[in-house]
This record gives sequence, structure tokens and C-alpha cells, in this order.
Amino acid sequence: MTTDDSRQASDLGPEMARIEKELERFPGAVLEKYRVARAELDSRLRPQDLLDWGNHALAIAGKAVRSWEASAEYLEASPAVQRQLPSGQFIRWAAIGGRLCDDSPSLAVSFFKASPDALTRLRPRYVDDWANLGRALYRGTWKSSNLACHFYEVSPQLLESLTFAEFTRFGESLQVLSRRSYDLADECLVKAARLFPRLGEERDAFITVSRDLAEHSWREVKGLYDAASTSLTALEPVHRSRMLSIARRLIAAEQVNIGEFFAGASNAVNHVPAEFRQRLLELAEEPLAASPASVNLLITQAPAILDRLSPSQFEEWHREGMRAIDESPESGPAYYRLESARARESLDHLSSGVELNRVKEILRTYCRALSNRDIEVNATQQIVDKKIGWVNEQSATTEGTTIYLPPVADRFSHKDENFGWYKVIATHQSCHIEFGSFDFDFDAPSTMFQDLRPEMHPAAKPKTDLAATVAELVTDAIPGITETDPSPNASPNASPNASEEEGGIELAYLTDMGRFFDLFSDRTLGLDIFTVVEDTRLDSRILYEYKGLAASYRQTQAASLSERPRIEDLPMREAMVEFIVRLSLRQTGNLKVPKGYTDTAQQIRRIVNMLSEISATVEDSAEAATRIYAMIADVPNNTIPEEDFEDVNLDDEIPDEEEENTEEILQMFGGEGESAGEEPADSSQQDEQEFTDEEAYDSPEDVDYRGEFKPEMAQLLSQLSMDAADFDGEPEPITQEQLEELLKNSAELEQADMEEGEEGQQQQMDEMLQNLMKEMQQRDPDNQRFGDGPLVHVPEEGGPLEATEPNSFVYDEWDFRANDYKPRWCIVHEKEMAEGESQFYEDTLAENAALVHEIHRQFELVMPEMYRKVKRLEDGEEFDLDAVIESVIDRRTGNTPSEKVFWRRNKVERDVAVAFLLDMSASTAEAIDENKRPTDDWGAPDDPVEYMVWLRSRRAEGLRRSYKRIVDIEKEGIILLTSALEQTGDTYGIYGFSGYGRENVEFYVIKEMDERWGPAIPRRIDRIAPLHATRMGPAIRHATSKLIKVDAKSRILFMISDGRPQDRGYSREGVEKEYAVHDTRVAFEEARKEGVTPFCLTVDKNGHDYLKTMMHDMNYEVLSDISMLPTRLPQLYRQLTNA
Amino acid sequence: MTTTEYREYRVEEYSVKEEPFYAPLSDEIEIFTAAYKQKIPVLLKGPTGVGKTRFIEYMAWRLSQPLNVVKSKNKKPGPSASGNGMIPLVTVACHEDLTASDLIGRYLLDANGTRWVDGPLTRAVKAGGICYLDEIVEARKDTTVIIHPLTDHRRLLTIDKLGQVIEAADGFLMVISYNPGYQNALKDLKHSTRQRFVALEFTFPPPEIETEIIMHEADVEREIAEQLAKLGDKIRNLRDYGLAEAASTRVLIYAALLMKQGVAPRRACQVAVTWGITDDEQMQRSIDEVVTTIFA
Ligand SMILES: Nc1ncnc2c1ncn2[C@@H]1O[C@H](COP(=O)(O)OP(=O)(O)OP(=O)(O)O)[C@@H](O)[C@H]1O
Ligand SMILES: [Mg+2]
Repeated sequence: MTTDDSRQASDLGPEMARIEKELERFPGAVLEKYRVARAELDSRLRPQDLLDWGNHALAIAGKAVRSWEASAEYLEASPAVQRQLPSGQFIRWAAIGGRLCDDSPSLAVSFFKASPDALTRLRPRYVDDWANLGRALYRGTWKSSNLACHFYEVSPQLLESLTFAEFTRFGESLQVLSRRSYDLADECLVKAARLFPRLGEERDAFITVSRDLAEHSWREVKGLYDAASTSLTALEPVHRSRMLSIARRLIAAEQVNIGEFFAGASNAVNHVPAEFRQRLLELAEEPLAASPASVNLLITQAPAILDRLSPSQFEEWHREGMRAIDESPESGPAYYRLESARARESLDHLSSGVELNRVKEILRTYCRALSNRDIEVNATQQIVDKKIGWVNEQSATTEGTTIYLPPVADRFSHKDENFGWYKVIATHQSCHIEFGSFDFDFDAPSTMFQDLRPEMHPAAKPKTDLAATVAELVTDAIPGITETDPSPNASPNASPNASEEEGGIELAYLTDMGRFFDLFSDRTLGLDIFTVVEDTRLDSRILYEYKGLAASYRQTQAASLSERPRIEDLPMREAMVEFIVRLSLRQTGNLKVPKGYTDTAQQIRRIVNMLSEISATVEDSAEAATRIYAMIADVPNNTIPEEDFEDVNLDDEIPDEEEENTEEILQMFGGEGESAGEEPADSSQQDEQEFTDEEAYDSPEDVDYRGEFKPEMAQLLSQLSMDAADFDGEPEPITQEQLEELLKNSAELEQADMEEGEEGQQQQMDEMLQNLMKEMQQRDPDNQRFGDGPLVHVPEEGGPLEATEPNSFVYDEWDFRANDYKPRWCIVHEKEMAEGESQFYEDTLAENAALVHEIHRQFELVMPEMYRKVKRLEDGEEFDLDAVIESVIDRRTGNTPSEKVFWRRNKVERDVAVAFLLDMSASTAEAIDENKRPTDDWGAPDDPVEYMVWLRSRRAEGLRRSYKRIVDIEKEGIILLTSALEQTGDTYGIYGFSGYGRENVEFYVIKEMDERWGPAIPRRIDRIAPLHATRMGPAIRHATSKLIKVDAKSRILFMISDGRPQDRGYSREGVEKEYAVHDTRVAFEEARKEGVTPFCLTVDKNGHDYLKTMMHDMNYEVLSDISMLPTRLPQLYRQLTNA
Repeated sequence: MTTTEYREYRVEEYSVKEEPFYAPLSDEIEIFTAAYKQKIPVLLKGPTGVGKTRFIEYMAWRLSQPLNVVKSKNKKPGPSASGNGMIPLVTVACHEDLTASDLIGRYLLDANGTRWVDGPLTRAVKAGGICYLDEIVEARKDTTVIIHPLTDHRRLLTIDKLGQVIEAADGFLMVISYNPGYQNALKDLKHSTRQRFVALEFTFPPPEIETEIIMHEADVEREIAEQLAKLGDKIRNLRDYGLAEAASTRVLIYAALLMKQGVAPRRACQVAVTWGITDDEQMQRSIDEVVTTIFA
């Protein structure tokens, strides 16, 4: 026992009194708190300790102006702290706080304040360390003090989920960070407090990562916390720790964007099958040493790859990637980004399935070659999404202009076979177009039948309905179209597709096909029969015309045949239809039909056989369909026992054509026979049904390779675009009622999920109608037939303009509707491009060194020609031997000898001036994926909006860090080319254009025609950037005016654009596109008249659509892959200017 | 002992003696005959390998046939140098270095001094033959200067060096060919030149005629010829969709000839057709698909 120990409280009385007295100097709160605390501590502390405690209070309060606050906190915290600390430690605590107060009272305030809570989770011996951790963050500044205070404040929270060792390391990582930025460290502190409790066992690993990162790349630390709290926590703990250990090694390898890595990779891990996640992370470690940049890609790509590959195939694919890395570590990222041929080949090899996106372009060109039509190829989903009657995403189909194919072909184990499948189904669809399935003309004669169509009448429909429809048609048509012409008598002239109705009113059919199907009282059966018959015709034609495809086509038919339902399982009428389907698939034996129908079957066989003639037309199919319909429409649709079927002898001679009983056939078609009778067809059928056990008729299953055939819809949808092309005069408007009528009647339309109840159906019908109208409006290029009013040409507001400002120029604009110019319509403002940095220019040249070299080499090949020897000069490099001899001869023969006996290299032949016109419209800001070829961007949706989403998500996944825009590629192209142009000595100018509205066409001079190359030009190129709209005409006119001032033999206007001309106020709504295209065409033509050769290079994949019009017979090229521009541009230029 | 057999002609003595095979596409034979009789120069326009050269050979032969000679008796048929009533056919393939004297003629130096030698054009002019300048745009611009007086009513050839003007013999006719090349701004015919000629436009023959041509030229079966003609037709459909040059009759004939030698049809098409017309891989792939659709 020491003396101190034995001191009695009473001994200390005066001392304590002194303390109390002294404390009176400070604001009252201090003394107040002192008293409260003392009351508690009196009994708990030994006198000496109590005295020390009191002295500390006094000392702290007296240290600095505001340290009384610290003292107050100290006093306030004391009772609680004391309860947690042995007395020696307690005084130590006070001393530690006191020292903090020496540094900064506010530090001490926070420290004391946090102590009671913190100490519940902190071993007493660590108090010192804790204080020091906070202290270390403080470096005398206001910000650092804030951080340190904050650190103390959140310490209790942190300590709740961290061990002290972890806590220490976290504190250290904050220190590292705080040396860079206090704000950042502070933010991380806040995030950490929220994050750690959710992180589980992986806290330690995470802290290590964050500390490493703070050292390597401190700016990223915040991103790391963000990513961790959203994505890392979403992972299962095992995967978390693995990911963290990978991250650590990535940081050590100086890989950046760890935050993105977490976000992307965690997301990806959760998107692969659960049982493969662990393995994936194991695999991801493999490239760590040799190619750390591959790691992230390997993980993030995995979900997409695993869509195509099984996990074991995936490992196989990854092995190949590792081999690639072994051979050349740099190749890793490209491999895992799927940008290397090796990666794709390996993937292709491994997955036998063929994706439409990868073969779309090939199939498109293929179909265009076969059909000589501007066919598009797209995924079935696109037409299903339009909700206009197509529902099956697995069935190939066409609406007459686009061929829709299922997204993958993977029914075979071999890729070639799968591609072969695509080819077969695409050929079938394309042949519908090529061999005229949709060109059906109701009034056209067939080639092998007696034409009964003209004698047939539309099947009767309930009278009231029809009358109502007609009335509606006449009066209630879309306002603006038929209102102009309300008299029912005014239309008999109109449609070629008109058929006579009883009331003498003409009902216009939208399509010939619709008119044809209207003949059938059972439209569904009619369509089914017509489909089989037409497909038979088509298949025979294909087998005849395309012998190379015949083998696989036959195999496909055989395969389809093996999947057909058994005829014997079907009710009788359906059995008859199935019989035809099987015939059309060339079944050669063992075909059954219900007893008593073998003769019918033989007759059907005869008709089907006729359609195998190559000369058969779609009208023959139609006539054939009516015959077959007449034969089987009456067959009751009863299920009968299997014994009641009998074989059709297919070895029998096909029966000779008998004298056709046309009466009998016609009777089946609501013609005189029936309508003369009392009962309409429908009701008689109904009657029958009541008495028999007939089943409702079901259409046969689709023949898979033939897909879906919707001739009526195809005619409807394709006629608009075709009419526009070759229809003279006022086309017939289409009314909403007509469409509704079509929808109601057509057997072709399917709905996704049939709603129950009439109301639901009506609603679906309405939706489909809306969709269809939308679709048709889009297709009708001039809104001629479908719109909200007849088109009257409204001149755009305003009148001619004056160019008042300097360097502004007025140009006329061509109005295709008026077929005349609008005088002084646009103002071009010419400006010199501002100067930026030359960095972009230099980088481009450096990055493309190989290409630059190649281009220079190619242009050198041009040289000998340009610098061709010019002979017969009076002065030159050397004697021209031929000329000398001639001259000698002349002298001898008494002719005047020529003095032109020299030659010289000279550029006389090549005398080219070219103006480059660059599109600087806003759309050139769109990002491109530079390393991708169009065939390979599988997964990229075509729809621009979806595309942007897709692109963004790809970026978010961390696949791309920087991206190039179209305009950058344009710039690169120009840079590479100009570097070569300097070599040729051609005169050239570079201009950019954009603008908004006709008064503001901006025309930027990057290099003037007569301007010499200089350092300013790279700097101006740098400033080429996406601006506003694209009014091409005035820019072309202005560039032309510059070109014709140059004295050159060949003048070229070379435009590089990314899309169609577009601007606000380009004529009236609805025809802007047309207007713009026409004005541009005329501007080009004007240029040509002036002796300028225009050329347009576009990177718009859809460019073929309008360029044909816009460029008329001038040259243009559509680059399918924008990344090819820098390579292609110089090639084109050489072609254009060179022999 | 080996002997090389060959025949040698002076240019103006060369004429087409055997009837060349030519399948007319439309009324070009009648037009050409009429133009020949009226001494109107003819311009043959069209892509490569569509039979322009063959046509002119055929016409040279055909116009030499007795019927024609008889018909133009009163006008005194062209005094052909060979004196056999055949119209000489002088063909000059133009190239970039072809100068006026290459056509007209020049003095040559020899041991005895100088000697004038007529160029092919001069010979054709004198002999009253058909002078066919193939790919005229390739020639240097100065050649057009001598063409002009020959191709209007004057029908004169001026030879500066000799100080002579030669009036073309009756049977003389200038025929030029011209392929409106793809994307070529530098080489184009001047209007003053163009408008001195009647223009016959050659396009790819329709499949039926092309079938005949292939059958005849390569001596293959009709089926093969038909399929090749179909292939040609399909490929030509692609001209609107990014294919710069379509397959000519010539390459189809090549493919047929290879097949005749036993090369597998698909392979023959690939080497003779696909690879010949485009370097674009995707286009090649698509065309290959067309090939395999047509040929087994
Ligand atoms: N109408 C035709 N009749 C007969 N043979 C033809 C016909 N068209 C083309 N050919 C064949 O095609 C081949 C190529 O024709 P030709 O050499 O006449 O083409 P060209 O038009 O002169 O081509 P280029 O412009 O390349 O010289 C001929 O050898 C011939 O076999
Ligand atoms: Mg030729």
C-alpha cells in the first residue's frame, strides 16, 4: 500500500475545493457537470484518483480558449467511462484526452463524446491506440480536424463490426487517403460505417483492398466503397472473399477501375449458374499473372458466353484464351472481349448453334440476290413485338419486305447444319417473294385451271353486319380523306379490287388476297388449303430452280414429315388437310384417308401434282385451293376409329383430269347456288353441328421450315411501299374501318393470349388495330394512303432571306412538291474553325502508324502516273530519245523539226481539286464500338433506343472505358487521308457543316482549298465535333461554289455523313425526309452540272434506303462497318481520282 | 523437229474469215449495219465481258458477206487490201501512253535514211476497214483530236508529218468502246467526242441468251449453262446492294470451261466467279451461298 492509497478523502478536501473554485472561471456548464460527475465518482474512485480526475478537468479546461468545452464533455463522459475502465486506465484515458486537447480542443470534444460508446467495444488497453488513430488524421488544418473528429464519432459504430486489428488497419487506410484528400477520406468514412456491418467475414479482406487501392490509385477508393456496398454485398460470402483476393492482385498489377470491376464482376457472377460461380472465380485467377486486364473481362463476359456454351465448353474456351495469352499476353483482353478472331472462332467452334445476328447480313445479301428485292432480314421477335398478328417467335415468316427468322438455329449438333437450316427457311421465305406469293391478283387468269374466281361471290356474312359496315365505310371514314368525297356513288371508278355487292354499292377490298379469302365461308380452312397448295408450288419451284439446295431441302422435308401428327388420330376434315400437307411434303407411301374418301384423295393428288409444274403461278394455287376446298369443306369433322381409315394407293396413276363440274364447285362458294337458297352457309353448318358430334376445325400444325404464311397481311403491308413507287395518280386512301373489317375477318391474325370474354377480345382487337395503323403509317413513305388528311402542300413559313452578315451566303432550296426552287431560302454562315490542340491529330497518326504507312505506300503507286513523264517539252530533265529521232528525221525529210525534244516529270495529268464535306450533326456523337464488325456485334439490338441502353449497360459492366464517336472516326479518316494527300499535290479543302434551321446553316472551314498545309490545320481538325442538324443542300451548294473557283480538270465533292439529311423546318411535317433527300439530290445535281463530281460516303447502315434516291445516278458508298472508314476513305479517294 | 505454226497478217489484211458466234441481245446488228452503211461511227458502251469485242468481230464478218457486198455495189465496196471482199478489222487496244502517232504512223530511221510507216488507223482508213479503238478513254487526250475530223462528215485523216490529208475509203468505219467505269471522275469522254457516235449500249444478256452463249462458248450441257446464267443473273441483282462489279459473261464462261475440265461446279464458280468479282468477305460468303444454292 502506498501513502497515496491511504490518503483519506478528507485530506483532499481543500484540494478538491480549490479545483471547484478554479472551475468557476469557466462557463457554468463546466462546474455543473463537474458536480454531477463528482457526485457519482466520489464513491467509486479512490481519493487520489478523484483528485487526479479533477485536476485533469481543470487542466483541460484551461488549455485553450475553447477547451472548456472539451472539459465539459470529459466530465459528462466520465461516469460512464469509469464504469468500463479500471481506475488506472481511467486516469490514463483522461490524460490521453488531455493530450488531444493540446492539439485541438475539438478533437478532444469528439474523443470524449464518443468514449462511453466506444469503450463498450474497446478493450481498455487499446484506448491509447484508438486515440492515436484519430490523432494521426489530424494535421492542423480545419479539414483534417473535421475528419479526425468524425472518425471518433463513428468509431463506436465501426467497432461494432470490426475487430480492433481491422479497425486499426482501416484507420491507417484512411490516413493514406487523407494525405490526398480529406473530403474523400471523410466520404469513405461515412460509407464504411454503413458498409462494414453488411460485409460479414470479408471486412478484413476488404480493408486490405481499400488500403492497397489508396496507395495505388487513391481516386478510385470512393468508387470502391460504392461498388462494394451495392454489388459486393450482393454476393455470397465465399465468392466475396475470392473476388477480394482477385481485386488485391489486380491492384498490385496496377489495374485500374477496381470499383467498376466489383460492380461488373459481381453482377456477372450472379448471372451465371450458381454451381459455376465458384469455378468461374477460380478460372478468373488464372490470367492474373500474365494478363491481369483479362480478368475482369473473363468474368463479365461469362454470362453472355454461357448463353451459348455449357460450363465445360466455357472452360474449353477459356483454355484457348490462356493459350493465346501464353503466346502473347497483350492478346488477352481482345480475346476475352471477343474481339479477336481466335476468340470468336473458338466460341463458334464450341457452340454449334448459329445466331441470326451473326449471319443476318449474309442471309440478307443472299436473299437479295435470289429475289432482286430490297429485302431485310430480322429476328422474328421484331414482328411479334409489333403486335399486328404475329405471335410465334420460332417460326420464320415474312410480310413481303422483311424476312423474319428465329434468333438461333440450334436444332443440329453441327454448325453447318444449323446454318443450312437457316438457309432453307430463308430461301423458302425469300421465294415467297421471288415467285410471287404476294403478287396475287384476283383478276389475273391462272395458267392451268378454268378460272372460277370471277364467277364466285363473297361468302355471305350476316346481313346486318355487312350493311352496317358498308354504311360505316361510306360515312364514318377517317376524317379528311373520305369526307372530301362522301357520296357513295363517287367511288365506283376507284379500286381495281372492287367487287359487286347486292345493293350495288362497291365494297373496296384492301387486298386481292382478302378478296379471295372472302369467297370462303370457312376462311380458316380456305387459308389452310391455300397455304399448303401455295407452299407445294413454291417447294417444287425451289427444288427445280435451286438444285444445289435440293438435297438439304429434301432432308428438311423428310424431317418435317417425321414430325407430323398421325392422320388416323385426326378428325375427318382435319385428316384430309393433313393428307394434303403430307402430300406436299412428298410422302410416298402409307398415306391414309377416311374410308370413302380415296377418290377425293386421288383428285386432290392430281391437283397438288399440277402445282408442281414450274410454270404454276399463285393464281393457279388459288384456283387449286378452291377446288380442294370444295372437296373437303363438307367432310364432317368427326373423330372416327382407326379402322375407318384406308390407304390411298399412291402407285395408282394420277387420275386424268375429268370434266370439271364447275357448278358443284361454285356451289360451295356462297355464289348463286347458296345465296339463292334460303339458308346461308353458316346457319346450315350450325344446324349440322347440332345433330352430329362434329368437332371444331383446327388448323394443321405449321410445317416448321415453311414457317408462317400470311399472304393477306403481306399484301396489305407491302403494297404501301410498292404503290408509292409505281402508282401514278391519287391512290385510294385506306380507312380505319376497312382495316377493322380486315382484322375481324382475316384468318391470319393471331393474338398472344386470347382474352376471355367479348370485351377482352374487343380490346385486343382495338390494340391490334392501333398497332397496325401505326405500322402502316410508317410504311407509307409519303403518307399518301394513310394519314390524317389529304396532303396539301403548305409552304414553310417565312419568305426569302437576305444575307446581311459578312461571310454569309444565300442559296435556293429545292421543293420537290412544288417541283421548283424556293428562292433565297437558306443562309450559309461560313466560319473558320476554331483551333484546338494538335494532340488528336498526332495520336491518330501514331496509333495508326501501320495504316498510315500502307496508305502512303498505296499513294506512292499512284505517283508514277501522276509524275508521269511529260514528253515533248522545250526544256526538261533529259532528252526524249523518240522525240530526238523524230526531230532528226524531220530535218532530213525537210520537215520543220520540233524543238520539243525533252521530257520532264510533271503533274499535268493529275489535276484534281477536292472538297471534303464532313457531317458534324449531333448524331455523330453516337458512340461506336470501334473494334467490332457488324457481323459480330451479336446481342446488339437494332432499335436505336434499345441499342443505346445496351451500349450503356455494356459500359456499365466495365467492358468499355472510353469510347469513340462517329465524328472521331470521321476525323481519323480525314487525318489519315490528308497526310497522304499532301503527298499527291492535289488541291483540297476540308469543310464541316451542321446548323439549325434554314437561316443557320453552319459551314466551318477547316482547310480552305488554296490554303497551304500548316500547323493550324491539325488544330482545327481537333475541333470538329457534333453540333446540330444536317441540312445538306446549302452546304453542298456552298462547297460547290468553292470548288468551281478552283482551276482544275477534275473537281470532286466528297461528302462524309452518318445519316440522312435532317433539320427542323425542312418542309412540312410528314414529308421532311422526302423533301430533304430531294433537295440534297438536286444540290448534287447542280454540282454535277458545274462539272463537279459528287461522291457520298455514309456510315449509315440504312443508307441504301434513301441514298439511291438522293444520289440518283451519282456514286456513293455505304460503309457497313464504320471502323473501316479510315481504311476505306483513302481507297475510295484513289479510286475516284485515279484510273 | 518442232515447228510453231502461226499466221501473220498485216493489220489491214486481217479480217474475220470464219463466222464468229454472236448471240444478239436486241437490234444491235440492224443498227450497226445501218450505221455502217451510212458511215456513222459507232460507240459501244457497256461493262466488261458482255461481248463488245465479239460483236464487232461478228459485224466485221457479217458485213463482208456477199449479200452486203452486193447491196452496196453501186457504192463500190471498200477496197480491201486483201482483195477478197472481206472488210478488214483493225483493233487497237488503247492505253495511257497511246499517242496520236501510234495511231497515224511515224518515220522510222533505217540504214538508208528515213522511212514512213503508216499506223493502224491510217491503214484502216486507206483500206476501208473497221477501226476498233477498244477502251478509248484510256488513250491520251491528244488522240481525240485526230478522231474528230475522221468521225464527222469530212472523214479526213490529217497526217501533219507527211503534209497529207487522206480521205477515208468507203468501207472505213470508226468504232470505239467505252466502259462507263465505276467511280472514275478523271476519265470520261468529252461531249464533242461522244456526240460524233451513235451509241450501242451493251448490258448483260438475259438468262436464256446467256445460256446459249455459255453452251456455245464452253461446249457444256444446257443444264450447266442454265445454272451459270442463273448464277450470273442472281449476282447481278446485287449491284444495287453494294456489289461494285457484277459477274460478266466472260467469267461465267470461264467457270463453265473449268467444269468442262472436271473441276467441281461449286469450286469452279468460286475461283472463276466469286473471287473474281469482289474482295469483300461478307459479299463473297453471300455469293458462295448463292452458288451452293444453285449448284449441287
Ligand atoms: N452476245 C454474245 N454472243 C456471243 N458471245 C458472247 C456474247 N456476249 C459475251 N460473249 C462471250 O463473252 C466473252 C467476252 O466478251 P468480249 O470479250 O466481247 O467482252 P467485251 O465487252 O469486249 O469486254 P471488255 O470490255 O472487257 O473488253 C466473249 O469471248 C464471248 O465468249
Ligand atoms: Mg473487249
